[in-house]
Amino acid sequence: MSTETLTIARALNLGLRKAMEDDAKVVLMGEDIGRLGGVFRITDGLQKDFGEARVVDTPLAEAGIVGTAVGLAMRGYRPVCEIQFDGFVFPACNQIVTQVARMHARSKGRLPMPIVIRIPFGGGIGAVEHHSESPEAYFAHTAGLKVVAVSNPADAYWGIQQAIASPDPIVFLEPKRRYWEKADVDLDAIPGPLFASRVVRGGDDVTVLAYGPMVKTALQAAEAAAGEGRSLEVFDLRSVSPLDLDPVMASVRRTGRCVVVHEAPTSLGLGAEIAARITESCFHSLEAPVLRVGGYDTPYPPSRLEEEYLPDLDRVLDAVDRAMEF
Amino acid sequence: MTHSTSELRSFRLPDVGEGLPEAEILQWLVAVGDTVGVNQPLCEVETAKAAVELPSPFAGTVVELLVEAGTVVDVGAPIITIDVGGGEAAPAGVEPSAGLIGGAAPGGRTAVLVGYGPRTTEARRRPRRSPGRSTDLPRVDHGSGEVPRQPPPPDEGPPLLATAPDMRSKPVRHGGLEVGRQAEAAALRGAAAPAQEAPPGRRGPRPLAKPPVRKYAKDLGVDLATLSGSGPGGCITRADVDAALADRSAPAPAAPAAGGAREQRIPITGVRRHTAAAMVASAFTAPHVTEFLTVDVTRTMKLRSRLAARPELAGATVGPLLLVAKAVLLAVRRHPMVNSSWDEAAQEIVVKDYVNLGIAAATPRGLVVPNVKDADRLALPELAVALEKLTETARAGRTAPADMTGGTITITNVGVFGVDTGTPILNPGESAILALGAVRLMPWVHKGKVRPRQVVQLALSFDHRIVDGELGSRFLADVGALLQDPGNALAY
Repeated sequence: MSTETLTIARALNLGLRKAMEDDAKVVLMGEDIGRLGGVFRITDGLQKDFGEARVVDTPLAEAGIVGTAVGLAMRGYRPVCEIQFDGFVFPACNQIVTQVARMHARSKGRLPMPIVIRIPFGGGIGAVEHHSESPEAYFAHTAGLKVVAVSNPADAYWGIQQAIASPDPIVFLEPKRRYWEKADVDLDAIPGPLFASRVVRGGDDVTVLAYGPMVKTALQAAEAAAGEGRSLEVFDLRSVSPLDLDPVMASVRRTGRCVVVHEAPTSLGLGAEIAARITESCFHSLEAPVLRVGGYDTPYPPSRLEEEYLPDLDRVLDAVDRAMEF
Repeated sequence: MTHSTSELRSFRLPDVGEGLPEAEILQWLVAVGDTVGVNQPLCEVETAKAAVELPSPFAGTVVELLVEAGTVVDVGAPIITIDVGGGEAAPAGVEPSAGLIGGAAPGGRTAVLVGYGPRTTEARRRPRRSPGRSTDLPRVDHGSGEVPRQPPPPDEGPPLLATAPDMRSKPVRHGGLEVGRQAEAAALRGAAAPAQEAPPGRRGPRPLAKPPVRKYAKDLGVDLATLSGSGPGGCITRADVDAALADRSAPAPAAPAAGGAREQRIPITGVRRHTAAAMVASAFTAPHVTEFLTVDVTRTMKLRSRLAARPELAGATVGPLLLVAKAVLLAVRRHPMVNSSWDEAAQEIVVKDYVNLGIAAATPRGLVVPNVKDADRLALPELAVALEKLTETARAGRTAPADMTGGTITITNVGVFGVDTGTPILNPGESAILALGAVRLMPWVHKGKVRPRQVVQLALSFDHRIVDGELGSRFLADVGALLQDPGNALAY
């Protein structure tokens, strides 16, 4: 029985280390992940301990990283690719959409693709262009991929191991602005299935859905709302694809109101899909339309403006107010 | 800002390439005591990628070189201390924030290799302009935030590339098409004009209602189109559906006309309403017990004619009611608890040492129960007069309200209607009521033989909170004994 207080970054580092110890076929590839330990130090010390053959410093060529992973997966490896920043994944999209996502179906199930593509995503760190994107909807829209987004150290530690163990390709989104958030992690107990949503705060008035970096924002909003006499039920969706909405729907049938929060631009974002599914399944329970709080339909702004762009506690509570006005 | 005293600043090794953890100080370009200016090269460092000069972010005097030339230093470690007290500090934001990754950085941020680092936010809501916004349908607001929607100021600069057409202000043609912002704006203006008129639909606008209300109405078979909404913007609410349903289940005011031939509807008013309220209140407040006694009143009836012949009672009606009233008054003297009331508020039983004897009287307007005040102090002739006056006033409908309040015990003479007896309901606030049935000539065992005798049935209801079965029985037995043999009165 051991519980440790870890940051998300450290939890990922330990989770990767554990996965590499457990399975010699696990290999890590990415830019500056070896000697440097990654720009966020997620792979710190792993090349020293597991060698350059298992922790590979790659050229700055994302299509090559993922393409190589496809070949490795075909030969029985479990590659874990680090895309240094969300905005750098786009050169790899051809490999991800046309090969990674389809190989299993194309080969009639004979070639599984146990690939994990780790992407630090989202903004909030005052970075330059291409370093603050939220590309989850592109991948969630692609059949054959699974997409998860962690929000806390325990899910980071266990989720990365569960993702590596999964036979399916998984885009593993890490909330970069929350890398240094700390929490207790039970290193002996798996917190639950990887593709399951979770209630992180109970409430009765409005069901608030978030994933990744926005979970903390939603919880802050719930705390502030409690001071105003409103009780929000907050879900950490955890898995963006597949979506685990049954518990969410049970909640919405109680509250009659739902607000979805994500950083990605609102139009055609995850919130749109979630709103549609909840409306289809909970139509007669809805006292208000499912409301979305997201980024604006603009390119991610320069860092000086990003706090205007990112959904925050106030934007969430404004949506809660609107939901309650119905 | 001026600094009269020394103010030391330390300069930490920044990340000079992207994402490098360390660098070697090749040589120092300044020495302790040197005066340096902003952007003046301080030292030469070599990273894995290149050798670069590090410019000073401060103006001031070099106080200390913290690492020797030739050492490899971690990014974020302090390398030089400069006293900026004599000069001006570097403008805010120039100071490098490269602490150790994940460590604290200026401005409440966390140090990262790329960017200023995430900021620690407070879970507090900003003040809002007004607590309640309009209840209109939601704005289409994809950010759902409060960003002011004003057009951005026009960008006055030239196109970034000479080859790029200026799409902002000039009309631009591409092939045969007019493109550019002006053309788009013109197209939008055109679209705003009413387009070709749409053919009229067969259906009008749907009634406004939330989905749960739609379901509710559908389940109950209420057509929303027949309702008008009382909610915001004319939205039909659950209450509207309930109201419609209530209207439907309650017969409309016109309904009696339809079935009127066989039913008569009488408004519940006046005495009827008062009686109903009193009886319901009594029946559901005081637990009632009723006891019955059949009495041979032949002797009392004989006494009645003798009494009527007496001069004191000349002109008075000496009926069974008078003698029963007298018997009750005599029995009350022996059992005062039956002449009491239950005070719920005070949690007390109020035993009266006076008897206001109520007489239930049937009048054209309904049942009224006037009472004879202090009936226990009246001699028989006075009682006879009082009872007669009481009933006459009641039948005339002129009973004063004061005569109907303050009763302590009641007699109801149902015998005048020819019935044997009943189970009376207590007058509210009293604890006993005696029903007197019709006096009948009945076969009765008298002195061991069946004889025709005048017999009456008495029924006593009492409040079981105050009066137990034993007390009630003794009281009723005493009344019965007096009526069977009026001579017993001498003993009471």
